[in-house]
Amino acid sequence: MARPVLWRAGAARKDAAPRLAHLDRDRPLVEAAQADPTQFDALYRRYLAPVYSYAYYELGDHHAAEDATEKTFLAALTNLERFEDRARPADGDGSSTFKVWLFQIARNTIANERRALRRHRTAPLDAAALARDPLDVERDATRRDEAAAAWRAVGKLPDDRRKAVVLRFVDELSTAEIAGVLGRSEGAVRVLIHRALRSVARELEPKPKPIRRGRTER
Amino acid sequence: MTILGREAEVDALVTDAYLEALLAGRPIEVPDPKSPRDAVDAAVRMASARLTRDLPRFHPSFRFEERLALRLAEAAATLRLPAAAGGEADPIPFRISGPGAADPLADLRLLDDDERRPLLIRGAMAASALSLAGAAWVAWRRNRTASARMARAIRAAHARRAPEAG
Repeated sequence: MARPVLWRAGAARKDAAPRLAHLDRDRPLVEAAQADPTQFDALYRRYLAPVYSYAYYELGDHHAAEDATEKTFLAALTNLERFEDRARPADGDGSSTFKVWLFQIARNTIANERRALRRHRTAPLDAAALARDPLDVERDATRRDEAAAAWRAVGKLPDDRRKAVVLRFVDELSTAEIAGVLGRSEGAVRVLIHRALRSVARELEPKPKPIRRGRTER
Repeated sequence: MTILGREAEVDALVTDAYLEALLAGRPIEVPDPKSPRDAVDAAVRMASARLTRDLPRFHPSFRFEERLALRLAEAAATLRLPAAAGGEADPIPFRISGPGAADPLADLRLLDDDERRPLLIRGAMAASALSLAGAAWVAWRRNRTASARMARAIRAAHARRAPEAG
């Protein structure tokens, strides 16, 4: 649980007055890892699934997602001593600037992977990867169809909207955190997500069945 | 800002508050039909519910997780190495006299827990100093003229026996 503490934010600006900042929920782990890099494992275990999920949604390929995840964590470990916590009160309880920093690395890594993958176009997200219920084949099939439709709708979104939606719904980042990752204002992120949801809703709404113009009965 | 832009921002703000509650699993307030401004669009609600349900979070394979953990541990050990080898440690003046002079661990006991990491260089300095002192003592013993009566007798016996053997 995050708790407010007084600390001097932004060591580079020595003239700045101390301000109230929220204790990053990752801060103890980050400080331990900065003092002793072998302690990085705890941060790695905490963020492996979110980073991997983000990479998988963006790249649509498990191997590419693994590569991006590996590069992200290695870059984070190597540059950890340069990381500086800049949590603001506006970020709210539980906000984590380490998480934002890590996802910024992931975003850049994924962008590079995407450029490389563009040469070998990958298949879209595979709905078969969803968990199946072997005892309920019919329900399972319906669920998978619905999930595939949702994935398709997200896949059709423009890049920035798709990223914002994945970070919000899959990784459950706050609007402030997404703004930090994408380098946009919070207002812009809110509008991106709102418009993305409208687009998804249009894609998902049941389409009226086409009227058959067959022979009329005599 | 145009009126349309302002409206879009307000709608986005209302949607954001709705999502905050939805994703946190908090009960969502039923919108007041008299104030449509606060109500989230039904289409947006439906899309949000679908995405919450249908976009799973993925976890990589256990094998990948452990392989990467190992790789990170190796990288972390490499990052840690310069400090452990004493590269980042400040030299500590070697104490020649004093109560702990004869004890190579005396310096270590004075250190805080945090300062014990660059142990190798400090241990090496103490061990080197002790070795030098030991070498000096042996050299002194060998060159020193013995004054004890017993030592003189042994040296005389040894000198007598040497020509006999030759």
